[in-house]
Amino acid sequence: MDYIKLVSNKIDIQQVHNLIVDDGCGACSMFVGTTRDTFEGKKVISLEYEAYENMALKEMSKICSELRTRWPILKHIAIYHRLGTVPVREESVVIATSSPHRAAALESVSFAIDELKSRVPIWKKEIYEEDPVGEWKENKECQWPQHSKSTLKAFDFSCCPIDQTMTSDNKLVQIRVNDSDLNRRVDCFLKRKRDEINLYNINDFKKQSSNDDADLTEEISCARTQSFLVKQQQSKGHLKVRRANNNSGPQMRPNYSLQLNKLMASQQRDNNQTENISLPSVRLKNIETYMGISSDDNNILNRIKELENRILLLESSSPEYKYLVSNKH
Amino acid sequence: MNEENKSGTININILFFAKSRELAKTSRAVFAVEPVVQAGQLLKQLVDRFDLSAISNCIILAHNENYIENLDEDIHLQQADEIAVIPPISGG
Repeated sequence: MDYIKLVSNKIDIQQVHNLIVDDGCGACSMFVGTTRDTFEGKKVISLEYEAYENMALKEMSKICSELRTRWPILKHIAIYHRLGTVPVREESVVIATSSPHRAAALESVSFAIDELKSRVPIWKKEIYEEDPVGEWKENKECQWPQHSKSTLKAFDFSCCPIDQTMTSDNKLVQIRVNDSDLNRRVDCFLKRKRDEINLYNINDFKKQSSNDDADLTEEISCARTQSFLVKQQQSKGHLKVRRANNNSGPQMRPNYSLQLNKLMASQQRDNNQTENISLPSVRLKNIETYMGISSDDNNILNRIKELENRILLLESSSPEYKYLVSNKH
Repeated sequence: MNEENKSGTININILFFAKSRELAKTSRAVFAVEPVVQAGQLLKQLVDRFDLSAISNCIILAHNENYIENLDEDIHLQQADEIAVIPPISGG
């Protein structure tokens, strides 16, 4: 049987004892909480108790259920709490249990008073001799969640020491952010990985394959060009340079102005034949024009000498031209 | 009832105990609130309305005589429900 009560008068301890005593029980255990006369050097005159009565009775009933779960052999349980003014030396709370054997009775009473102090909505105010207004007390068992930032910082880490022997997978990491930020990070990671993969999928050059054209077309590739990467020996550049020897095309277009000039010159030559200019003289004149020399000297040897000087000058300024010409022989 | 429906709020009973009763200068009050409200939000409204800022970081709430363990959760209120403001307890 459970006896739960909030009382406004003095608790009759004998009466509580009578409630729980039983023929089949070898043990009755009782805790009596009484009013102390000092707190931190201040003289306490009395204690004022108040309760959220309906809820307090509910919570006390829950404690009884808990006791019976933990110690099924308990016979009777009584929890009495006094409200209102309680003078010094008088009882404020009485918890009593009976059981066939003493262990359950002793342990359950101890457990019950701890539970009562931590969850039953009852408050006490100490009235001091020097301070008639008094002060509301707080049970150290009362573990209300603190919801201010300052108290969060002041969390006492020593109350839950880290067990150093615990082994964890090295691959595991602890991330202390909320869900939305976690999801954002995962999305960013996925996006970056996708971009990386896309980047690798773009080939600037195809891998050099065999000469077989069939292989080339069958190859699956995202390459942007159809070129091949060829590294030459002792070359700083990565591209193989091939010299093109085209026999036709726009680069082989004849120089029409040159042709026209030749035709005009031959016409002039035809016209000048009447002036009895000898053929060697005309050819010499053409060479002089080609070399960019204009000479009025009539002595043919002087004109040839001037051409030789011109050739020597050109050879000295462009020696490779000389070797190119001499190699042909 | 019609006026309540228009404003979208319902009236609930607030109970005050110990220090919170002294700060609010009353042991019970009627309070208009949204039918579904986050517990932390309700606590903040009560602290602002009833001058409880001195103890705002160490009180919890009880809804119809049951502690609200998590201030992040939504509470579903009915007309005339009971919300108790519970400062740190000191029974025994």
